[in-house]
Amino acid sequence: MRTVLLQSLRRHLRRYVAAAVAVVVAVAFVVAVGVLTTGVRTGITAGAGSQFAGADHVVRDLGTQNAITYAAQHGDDVAVLGSATLPLRAGAEQAPGKFVGNIAAAPRLRWQTLDSGRFPERTGEAVVDVWTAQDMEISVGDEITLGAGSTAADLRVVGIVAASANLGQAAVYVTFEQLLNWRDDETLLLDRAVVVGDTGPLPDGATAVTPEEHAAESMAQHTNNVNVLSLLLLVFAGIALLVSVLVIANTFSILFAQRVRDLALLRCVGATRRQVMGSVRREAAVVGVLASLVGVAVGTGAGYGLVALVDALTRQSPLSAPAQLPGWWLLGGFAVGLVVTAVASWLPTRRVVRISPLAALRPDGAVDVRSGAGRNRVALGALFLAGGVVLLAVAAVRDSTVSMVAGGGTLFAGVLLLGPLVVPRVVRVVGALLGPGGRLATENAVRNPRRTATTTASLLVGVTLTTAVLTGLATTRASVDANHGTAHPLDVALTSWTGPLDAAVLDRVRATPGVGEAIAVDGVLVDLAGAEGAGSGGAGRPLLLLGAPDADQVARDGGAFARVEPGTVALDADVYGEDPAERLGDRTAGTVTASAGGDGEHDVAASPVQLRVTTGTGWGGAGIVAPETLTDLGTPRTYAVWVRASADADPVALLADMDTLADDIGADVDNGLRAEVADHQMLGTITAATLGLLGISVVIALIGIANTLGLSVLERVREHAMLRALGLTRRQLRRMLAAEAVLLSVTATLLGTVLGVGFAWVGYETFVQAALDAATWRVPWVQLAAVLPVGALAGLAAAVLPARRAAAVTPTAALTLD
Amino acid sequence: MSSSRRAPATAADRPAATQPTTGPSTARTAEPTTHGATDQPLAASARGLTKTYGRGEAQVHALRGVDLDVPRGRFTAIMGPSGSGKSTLMHCLAGLDRPSGGTVAVGGTDLGSLGDDALTVFRREHIGFVFQSFNLLPMLTARQNILLPLELAHPRTDDAARERAHELADSLGVADRLDHRPAELSGGQQQRVAIARALITRPSLLFADEPTGNLDSTTSAEVLDHLRRSARELGQTVVMVTHEPDAAAYADDVVTVQDGLIA
Repeated sequence: MRTVLLQSLRRHLRRYVAAAVAVVVAVAFVVAVGVLTTGVRTGITAGAGSQFAGADHVVRDLGTQNAITYAAQHGDDVAVLGSATLPLRAGAEQAPGKFVGNIAAAPRLRWQTLDSGRFPERTGEAVVDVWTAQDMEISVGDEITLGAGSTAADLRVVGIVAASANLGQAAVYVTFEQLLNWRDDETLLLDRAVVVGDTGPLPDGATAVTPEEHAAESMAQHTNNVNVLSLLLLVFAGIALLVSVLVIANTFSILFAQRVRDLALLRCVGATRRQVMGSVRREAAVVGVLASLVGVAVGTGAGYGLVALVDALTRQSPLSAPAQLPGWWLLGGFAVGLVVTAVASWLPTRRVVRISPLAALRPDGAVDVRSGAGRNRVALGALFLAGGVVLLAVAAVRDSTVSMVAGGGTLFAGVLLLGPLVVPRVVRVVGALLGPGGRLATENAVRNPRRTATTTASLLVGVTLTTAVLTGLATTRASVDANHGTAHPLDVALTSWTGPLDAAVLDRVRATPGVGEAIAVDGVLVDLAGAEGAGSGGAGRPLLLLGAPDADQVARDGGAFARVEPGTVALDADVYGEDPAERLGDRTAGTVTASAGGDGEHDVAASPVQLRVTTGTGWGGAGIVAPETLTDLGTPRTYAVWVRASADADPVALLADMDTLADDIGADVDNGLRAEVADHQMLGTITAATLGLLGISVVIALIGIANTLGLSVLERVREHAMLRALGLTRRQLRRMLAAEAVLLSVTATLLGTVLGVGFAWVGYETFVQAALDAATWRVPWVQLAAVLPVGALAGLAAAVLPARRAAAVTPTAALTLD
Repeated sequence: MSSSRRAPATAADRPAATQPTTGPSTARTAEPTTHGATDQPLAASARGLTKTYGRGEAQVHALRGVDLDVPRGRFTAIMGPSGSGKSTLMHCLAGLDRPSGGTVAVGGTDLGSLGDDALTVFRREHIGFVFQSFNLLPMLTARQNILLPLELAHPRTDDAARERAHELADSLGVADRLDHRPAELSGGQQQRVAIARALITRPSLLFADEPTGNLDSTTSAEVLDHLRRSARELGQTVVMVTHEPDAAAYADDVVTVQDGLIA
């Protein structure tokens, strides 16, 4: 049998190429995930310790206020770690939000490394990260502006620091004293301090550890995140593996069907069943080993290549190339390749056993392997289908994730089992659209139902998941948008805390590109009885109360947030916390007592009014009251302009313009746009990443289609030659095969789209409705409509090589007997 | 071996060759330029046909210079042992294979002047084929197989074509099997469907390559009778390649090929 094995391998190895490619891609995926994961871990390890290198202790859980106090008590021996996110302007360049960190006063606590210039020594000086400097064309000696409105600060750049993968890295570093300029900015987060020498007494809740301990703990936390990430990536690798199994199983089925005569002949001349099966199993094993080895090599190369690429392209890459090959990952990838091949070849090789020796003696050499759906298969498929539907219904009703996943899997398995019954019918329906010219292609596509079903199944997996993800994320996005309206009713609010706004401001705002609608809002400045430091602007600042009866013109929630009952004030929980009355007013009753302070010029002092406090979010530091309440308090004047961005506005540009304008008129800017942009960016990134990862399984499926077609073409040499003899031109023959591939891919795409949208709907019922109040079901028709032509084109691409090979057949081949 | 019954299948080979039993070699076609000058116009003719396969030591000369005229409306048999070059000769005559040298003209068209697509279309319109192993498409019914050559030219078949398919099937005795697939037909029935498929385009030339090779003697006789009848009754030019003298006996003229030359 060894001669047979070797010669079979030599003769058929080329036909295994496509199956091997499928294994290679899947194994490479696993290995590349391993290299990347290890790379991230290496990168974090390199960066994690450096912030604490010079310290004796790390104090944690300080909280912003305590951190400031603690630092003030200890002087230069303590450096607080933290950052604020502030708009940065340098010359003509603007950035809406950059991390601003601080530089320790004590040289041994400075972890940043200078690229040029020197470190800042006093307020008014800053150093800039090298990438930011490059982006915004900043050089040493330039002037930059950080922050906006009343807290904007002009700084001189005295140095450029090297970029780092450090977790505490920022775009701009200033002295701690300078950073405290933004002590009331909500983005300022200070939580940790590094200490030289004794820590002294710690504020409540804070703890001190050694730098080593701290680094180890934060490492563990990040490693955890990395593990979650690699698990997520492995899910996609698993999908790719599943698709590979389908492709490989199909390849083996076809190859063995084509070799029925050879194998029967072996049985005729005395090979036992065991020998024949052993021989084909070893053949499969050789393919598995070779493909897995290549996959490991390709994956390692791809992993290291990606690390290098990411490092070259991005500035704050958390990646470094692993110094040592991630051995377990390589071994694991290799093993996965072997297992996949073994699983995929199990059934086809078992079928080899059933070949009767008589098959070799039958006169007809033509291979026409018909295969259909057996009764058991149909029964099992129907059972799975029904079970899946029930489980999904349960999931939708009970919001149960477990039964959703189980139901989805069961339903899909049922669809795969019923494939030989369903897929050919769909192919015929689609084929009918091609007209009579596509008849031959249609007949060819459905002549072997099981093969057709498996081939489409591999693509079905990818398309189902793709459409499910597209629909699911479109729905999530719609729901998040709807929720966003409640959380951030105002796109932009320009608020003056010093005096009424000029009437011309509204016109200037309306003239700004990207502004869809803008209204002037009247208000009264009040003092709160018993409050030390009320408004968002800082201690001792009066609170601005606004009444906006026409808020519905600009608000994303239809103005609901501004409809406040008389005698009530609504305060922004993002600014004042969940219980503003606690902070601002009479601690017990949940009320505040406001009286128009009056500056003697615009507002006249009036008797104090007691107001009940409610909360909402998304409009900034001003309190919202009913218009009647406002007139009770004093004479309302225009203190704010509220803006709704137009649908096609560029949020970043609009914000920058608004910031400039606000600086000009001495107003503050609050906005809901940045949060919205961030949400959209995140969802966009998730969509792109998911589609990219699913793309790998789609590519494998396409390899499968090309493979099935290629092997079918080998079977049909005589037929094609006959058709050529009868007068089919090469071009017609190529078109016929292309049509066959397109039929398969379009069928898979159609079925997959239906399944995917269905799954997304169940997911929506299960997840989104449970998580968000304003859940909205949305089918992204445009994107889904794009999936179909993409599927058709992919099928066309898959047909190129097989069709070329088929068209090379000479008509005389029909006349010679093989 | 039976001799041809009537004269004109003329084989004009190299002077050295002798003509033992192939019937009277007449002087009428010794001169190639007399195309059409004969009382029976030519369906196809070959001049100085050579065909070599492979290179160097492995080179095989399948045809060594063949001149042949096929008269119109007759049933011609090309005979020869296996490896004699008779199939190659037929492939070249039918435009399936290109000769290494010499010319082939079918119905006055020089096949060498046609590109691959033009040649394919020419085959579609002027030449019919019957194969030894029937070569019906397994997934199509008998009727669909018969109509296939028309569909290749025009995807939509009209009623007249269906009518004609039925007539042909009727005359070949397979009218009641038209909705069956090849797997449900006997060998003889399959071959008769194949003949109907070859005749549906009214080709100027019908080639049959060992049409009885896979059939028993009774069905062979039926198939050969059909071929002869289509020549006699419909005036269809038929060229059959065979190595069986019994089959050749049905032909009007017999040409014998040996070692790449007309014997």
